[in-house]
Amino acid sequence: MVYTPCPFLLMDNNQPSTHPDPRRQLQMARSMCWHCQSEMSGEYFCERCVKVQPVSKDTDYFSCLGVPRRLTLDPQKLEAKFYELSRAFHPDFYQSKSPTEQTISLSNAAVLNTAYRTLRDPIQRAEYLLGLETGSVKDIRTSPPADLFEEILVLQDILEEYRASEHDSDEGRRLRDTLKTEQQALERRKEEMESRLRELFVDWDKLQDAGEATSPARVERDRILKQMRDLLSHRTYINNIVNDLAATIA
Amino acid sequence: MAYSDKVVDHFNNPRNMGSFKKDEEGVGTGMVGAPECGDVMKLQIKVQNDTIVDAKFKTFGCGSAIASSSLATEWLKGKTIEEAQKIKNTDIVQELNLPPVKIHCSVLAEDAIKAALTDYQKKADAQPADTK
Repeated sequence: MVYTPCPFLLMDNNQPSTHPDPRRQLQMARSMCWHCQSEMSGEYFCERCVKVQPVSKDTDYFSCLGVPRRLTLDPQKLEAKFYELSRAFHPDFYQSKSPTEQTISLSNAAVLNTAYRTLRDPIQRAEYLLGLETGSVKDIRTSPPADLFEEILVLQDILEEYRASEHDSDEGRRLRDTLKTEQQALERRKEEMESRLRELFVDWDKLQDAGEATSPARVERDRILKQMRDLLSHRTYINNIVNDLAATIA
Repeated sequence: MAYSDKVVDHFNNPRNMGSFKKDEEGVGTGMVGAPECGDVMKLQIKVQNDTIVDAKFKTFGCGSAIASSSLATEWLKGKTIEEAQKIKNTDIVQELNLPPVKIHCSVLAEDAIKAALTDYQKKADAQPADTK
């Protein structure tokens, strides 16, 4: 087996001080090729010197994969694009290239993987888009849909009771039946939420396609984003309790 | 990433787990949740003469969320309402040595304290002064 040194080790301290620091290169704007300094027009490769170019830090996952910022993406097209780019950044093609190119292709592949994993799943895709559109996702709103929390706490109590009970006693069976019924009801609610989310996805895409900057369009935009955010967080709570239920009474 | 010893200790031996009756006199209830991870936290305080004499919690979530609320109830006991207002999530982060990805758990605990205090205040204000 041939030992291939890690590209990150290759770019370490032994380089002459005049050599451009690849880490700084990675942060450079995409408008210029890091190698030949000509203006960039290609997607990931300089059209003049054919060197691989780093994904810009400001690039979001949608542009990274070359798809529009929409919520109803065609999974097959997305997958095809992912494979195409994965091949373009594959380490096998960079073994004889410079350390800088190896580093760039490797970190591009990493970004690409995260981008694809995020966009492939409709829920994660919507959560990611919300973060892009509404700014800080860190803004934690802990105020509850109070009745939902009450419901979850009651269910968790029954779950505890069931865990502590003899599973094949009458009491255990009774609790199990209760939990099973609740689980089915919650799963139906989760499905309802997901179908409402899908409607909002379509609404969002329509709005984007129309591309109007009128004030009704802005109101509509805010409505969709708010409803999506509420539904997504509701869904997370329900998803958690459904998983707990499924794991316990399985 | 590993949890700090303090988190593990609170997780294995949670302090003050349980609940009071919501309508019991002097009890304030705070219920909060983190929409990102779906954790749910209930924190209750029992107040006599402006001092928190007891506190309980129930948390369904990760180890850090459980530890944060367990620690919060420990800190709350014996504090006056005013002192309790001053508990900050950063105090919890420091005490439990929480990593950046778990900071939201401490935010959740701080919000639960605030919600419980608000609930207590609301109930106290609703009562005629002489029955307080």
